Amino acid sequence: MSALMKAAVSRSPASLASYLYRNIHVAASGATSKDASVTTNMTKAYTVIDHKHDALVIGAGGAGLRAAFGLVQEGFKTAVVTKLFPTRSHTVAAQGGINAALGNMEEDSWLWHMYDTVKGSDWLGDQDAIHYMTKEAPHAVIELDNYGMPFSRTPEGKIYQRAFGGQSLKFGKGGQAHRCCAVADRTGHSLLHTLYGQSLRYDCEYFIEYFALDLLMEDGVCKGCIAINLEDGTLHRFQAKNTILATGGTGRSYFSCTSAHTCTGDGTAMAARVGLQNEDMEFVQFHPTGIYGAGCLMTEGCRGEGGFLVNSKGERFMERYAPVAKDLASRDVVSRAMTVEIMEGRGCGPEKDHVHLQLHHLPPEQLKQRLPGISETAMIFAGVDVTKEPIPVLPTVHYNMGGTPTNFRGEVITHRGGADRVVAGLLAAGEASCASVHGANRLGANSLLDIVVFGRACALTVADTARPGDPQPPLAPTTGEASIANLDSIRYANGSISTADLRLRMQKCMQKNAAVFRQKSTLEEGQRQIHEIYKQIKDVKVSDRSLIWNSDLVETLELQNLLINSVQIVEGALAREESRGAHAREDFKTRRDEYDYSKPLEGQSKLPFEQHWRKHTLAETDPATGDTRLTYRPVIDRTLDAAECSTVPPVIRTY
Amino acid sequence: MNLIKMLHTRTLNLSYNALKNVQKVAFSSNTTNNMDTTYMEIPLYDVEKQQPLEKRKARLHYQSRKRGMLENDLLLSTFAKKYLNGFNEKQTMMYDRLINSPSNDWDIFYWIVEKKPTPKEFDNEIMNLLKKHAKNEDKIALRQPDLH
Repeated sequence: MSALMKAAVSRSPASLASYLYRNIHVAASGATSKDASVTTNMTKAYTVIDHKHDALVIGAGGAGLRAAFGLVQEGFKTAVVTKLFPTRSHTVAAQGGINAALGNMEEDSWLWHMYDTVKGSDWLGDQDAIHYMTKEAPHAVIELDNYGMPFSRTPEGKIYQRAFGGQSLKFGKGGQAHRCCAVADRTGHSLLHTLYGQSLRYDCEYFIEYFALDLLMEDGVCKGCIAINLEDGTLHRFQAKNTILATGGTGRSYFSCTSAHTCTGDGTAMAARVGLQNEDMEFVQFHPTGIYGAGCLMTEGCRGEGGFLVNSKGERFMERYAPVAKDLASRDVVSRAMTVEIMEGRGCGPEKDHVHLQLHHLPPEQLKQRLPGISETAMIFAGVDVTKEPIPVLPTVHYNMGGTPTNFRGEVITHRGGADRVVAGLLAAGEASCASVHGANRLGANSLLDIVVFGRACALTVADTARPGDPQPPLAPTTGEASIANLDSIRYANGSISTADLRLRMQKCMQKNAAVFRQKSTLEEGQRQIHEIYKQIKDVKVSDRSLIWNSDLVETLELQNLLINSVQIVEGALAREESRGAHAREDFKTRRDEYDYSKPLEGQSKLPFEQHWRKHTLAETDPATGDTRLTYRPVIDRTLDAAECSTVPPVIRTY
Repeated sequence: MNLIKMLHTRTLNLSYNALKNVQKVAFSSNTTNNMDTTYMEIPLYDVEKQQPLEKRKARLHYQSRKRGMLENDLLLSTFAKKYLNGFNEKQTMMYDRLINSPSNDWDIFYWIVEKKPTPKEFDNEIMNLLKKHAKNEDKIALRQPDLH
């Protein structure tokens, strides 16, 4: 819907009157190209339309919609800017569920859920945020139930809860917990559909298929964002007292990921471009067997039914890495083994860059009965008949634990001079943020919980700190012009490398050097390559000059965003000399905490901050050059209320 | 083009048309028999809006490449690359309705791979072409195609 149409049907006639039409003439120096003769001074007219709202949400996935709904319920006139129709956000892919200690299946306590999450994070998670999330989880789920989300139910009518990995009872001593609430196998879709529908009963304006270009900052305060309407090519400055970043993860930095092609780290890149820091970017969760090229997951069930992995020599290599468990060793062991085989030259295919998952030795009836979906998925996405040939697979990115740092209230923070400081006017929630509740490793079904609780927290924080109709001074006329200039230069880019080629180069570099297997030599090579690739964005070629539904333009803007995220991931991984959670270094195989927790603490002296690694990485990138500076921030161990919930002290993590 | 004048004269017409577009959506994936279907009003994407065919196709290319999950990204973007530019207006409209009306992207996926029966309103030549495309008779590994 165009902005004008939105205003026309909006329930507040005042919004129609709040439009300003302006024409901005941008004098651009045209394209940069290899033969320097092609340079023209063109004046192009970009139509810029201004909007004013109480609050702005960027991204309409689970976190964005929950924040938007919370805000409009409190009376805030809210704009939601999204590059996709809301029910097509990547949240829809979530088929698992939401963890909450409701206690419907057995006696349960959120304190046990809190313990599980802290342990899962390998003690990199901030315990105040984890306290907040697990305590609020039951309220958040019951609220969703009241808003009409049709959770699966037990025969008695209570919300049905199922088991999920990493969830235990009685602080790990009471066996498997059943606390994952789901809507059949479509929890993600149901969440989006319910929240979108509910939010429209209030004063919520959706700007659908608008691509957010940059945040608007004035004197270090966030004033909103500037976006392009893909339908008609007009630019829009959205002014709001509070902005919420909910743009999702950056899976597309890698060659193999399970994320949709929309997951391009737009929010984290926008934050980096205005000088903010991103936290823990190097923590990326992998799944061992995704289909090569496509990225679709081949479930562990394949190996559970007798399938195994082979290298180019046809050898069942897991026997060497895990003699007992073989192909059923834990995910990170399998992922690393696969990567070592590839690195040592025994990979399959013309580029020797993947391994094979072999199932054709199993009887066809067993395949058909036990793994019906697998055969279809393999044929549809890999063109492989599993009864005759092996499936090409490699470790695949599944989730980004890192993102724009926030406190437990969802407010974006920076950490300078040893202190956290809130960035006025900016909040963040969901995979784009880092609260940090997942720390070094995310537990299943905690991601949907994260987006719901912190989307809600952002709305509550705004309700606490602002009032609907709070006065906002007008934006300076020049605010946002740098973004328009960038858009213009990308639009007319006439270099020698196509966006698809440059993107593939970046993805292959990341997959080869900064994936599961990390060591100094390969990370340094990755660092060298990624910076070279970063600079090549200046030589990119965009073939479509239109401003309307120009996929080439949008994908190039997304590539700019991906590059910033990729650089931060590599730099963080190279600097962090330890193994913790999803970040595993071959040259530093253990966790390096302030004490050695594998031994009794008596007699040990606490290592100073600079000498241990139980701390958050903060990365700042200069968008013009890609140069990245790393600083560190302590993990928050104290909970919100020690009387209610005590800190979980670090121990060595074993399952 | 005088953008401001054009927008002013169209505002009233647009608001009348826009109000008609908010419809009840009853699409649901009945994955279990005793499932509550989600009867929640959400606006339908305005597929019937008048626009030049070229612009509609450009939009459909964008929307084929950007779905909720990877499976649909791959199937629809490869399909669009192969067929969309060759569609006539009627076929384009059928494709537009198919990918923009259902609320749950998974439903579209299940219809294409024939895990669930296609609802009557989408059961047309485009759906048949999509089903054939998904069978991957050329046996290639799917990747999102380059734009140019």
